[in-house]
Amino acid sequence: MPGDSRSDAWRPDWWGKASAGAILGFGLALSLVGLYAYLGPGGIEAPGGRYSLMRYLEVFVWTAVFGFCFLFRSGRSAWAWLGAANLIAFAALFACRFVFFA
Amino acid sequence: MIRADIVRLYKTVHTWTGITCGFALFIAFYAGALTMFQEPIARWASPPAVGVAAVPLDDVPRLLELVAAASPQARAEGIKLHLRGHENEPARVTWEEDEPHEAGQPHGHVHWWGTLNPDGTLLAKPEEPSELAEFINDIHMRVGIPRPWGSYVMGVISLLYGVALIAGVITLLPSLVKDFLELRVGTNLKRMWLDAHNVVGITALPFHIAIAITATALSLSGPLWSAQEHVIFGGKQAILDKLDNVPYRAPKPVGEAAAMMAPAQLLQKLKEQVPDFEPRFLIFKNFGDKAASVRVPGSERGYVGDYHLGGVMLSAVTGELINDRTRPSRQDPDRRASETFYGLHAGHYQGSTVAWAYFFLGLSGAWLFYSGNLLWIETRRKTARKGGKVEQSRSTRLLGSATIGVCLGCVAGISVTIVAAKWLHGRVADLNHWHELIYYVVFLGSVAWAFAWGAARSAVHLLWLCTAATAAIPLTTLAALLFPMLGMWAHGSIATVGVDVVAFIGALCFGWMAVATQRRVTTGPADSIWSVRKADGARPPREPAAAPAE
Repeated sequence: MPGDSRSDAWRPDWWGKASAGAILGFGLALSLVGLYAYLGPGGIEAPGGRYSLMRYLEVFVWTAVFGFCFLFRSGRSAWAWLGAANLIAFAALFACRFVFFA
Repeated sequence: MIRADIVRLYKTVHTWTGITCGFALFIAFYAGALTMFQEPIARWASPPAVGVAAVPLDDVPRLLELVAAASPQARAEGIKLHLRGHENEPARVTWEEDEPHEAGQPHGHVHWWGTLNPDGTLLAKPEEPSELAEFINDIHMRVGIPRPWGSYVMGVISLLYGVALIAGVITLLPSLVKDFLELRVGTNLKRMWLDAHNVVGITALPFHIAIAITATALSLSGPLWSAQEHVIFGGKQAILDKLDNVPYRAPKPVGEAAAMMAPAQLLQKLKEQVPDFEPRFLIFKNFGDKAASVRVPGSERGYVGDYHLGGVMLSAVTGELINDRTRPSRQDPDRRASETFYGLHAGHYQGSTVAWAYFFLGLSGAWLFYSGNLLWIETRRKTARKGGKVEQSRSTRLLGSATIGVCLGCVAGISVTIVAAKWLHGRVADLNHWHELIYYVVFLGSVAWAFAWGAARSAVHLLWLCTAATAAIPLTTLAALLFPMLGMWAHGSIATVGVDVVAFIGALCFGWMAVATQRRVTTGPADSIWSVRKADGARPPREPAAAPAE
């Protein structure tokens, strides 16, 4: 990404933001519906309608993050914020999967 | 107020997601709009048959007995009993048998139908039903690319379509209050097209959001489920999946004979136990056995949902409910929500009003992508000044040709392949294969034609092709009526006549578009890719390079 990284100015960074939205948006969507699967009503043993519904919720989050990711100040900040959100969400998900509901 | 540079970036995002996805989305929306009437199209395309009425419900027990005796596979895997008497139900009962194959290998199925001869014996025949309507649905789901890749391609395109929606709304926000519903008809054609594009997009926005989300989820279900299984469930999803299929599984036969309850009585018992249920058809398994069952797919009044998943299972001996966990009102809340999402995609609620609304919303969506491409071209148009002559850029000419070829090729291809259902029936061995062949030949031929002749000329040619092909749908029915020796048919039900009427109105619309386009290419401004005239005059003045990606 060209330009001065210290600058506070808003920059288009079209590829940086789009890649963050597509990749990290999917990660965030997957981990959030994962948390719903463990913590939602009925828990992980809920009937199979659960994972049929999850794909719609997943795409809802994915599309929203991908669509709005261009509002970030720069590609770098998009990767930083979404990366942090991914880390937290996946940490919570894996805590559920391997520790609390193992 | 949103900052101008953000709006500018979103305009770029909207433009490029729109241009890359527009073609596939046009095809998906046009074929999808027709799929709202998949059943009437299937009925229109089905040849005259023995029909359901040939065996009254009271005589069905004997028919089922004979079929179960004649085909052990049908007895074990299911004999389908039809109830409605539609033209695409060839006889009272149908069933499938495996084609000869090696054990464990993938294989096709032979479709059989069965009825009673006047002397009470079984008349059974293998006959492949028309898959025309399923093929149109397939084009809608996979734009004609073989599975599974077509689904993946459409999944990614639907995702980008969702992004394009968000970007389009953000682009429009600053001027929304000022310009909304203002259609500036006038000499500035681009302004008018943009206003129309915005009004159609914004008013149908809830529909588009619902379609974008559900289309992505439905197209990518395979990969999404696989990701869920690996990352979230870690093996649990497969277990849940098995549990989920239990309610659909028929009880195992016990090998003891028993008297079967007559279907008329079974339907009566069903009505007593589940009053709001509307059965579609009945599937008998292990007929004659003490553990024989009948599965009844159908819908429940007051509930959104696809009839494939919803249903009840009765004992074929006593008519008692064995299982009704899959009918809509008994589904778990997550399944209910998921079914509602699916219903939102397929327009499976509120009957024909919503079906028609979805039909027109689908067509308006197709128009949205078509007009979006035209706007891209107009934005890059180089204007002739002072009688000067300009060459439009290569990219606008190519996009113009591609837009005309893909959009009109899809329309013409579908119409021609619908017409073929009647003309080729009984004249070719594998009609369902021919439907695909015809569609691809017309579609690819139209695309080639559009590139060979350029957007302006080919638009007129192909619009007349669309008009002729679509008009041929009702004309074929008329020909079948007037000349019985052609060996074709003209059904009289409202649904099938409706197909002819809608096709006739569609042909009038295409004809009107052909006349209007003809006028524009001959008398419209010459400095456009939509003109066949060459503006004469001196050499073109130097144009500033088109701004990259507006």
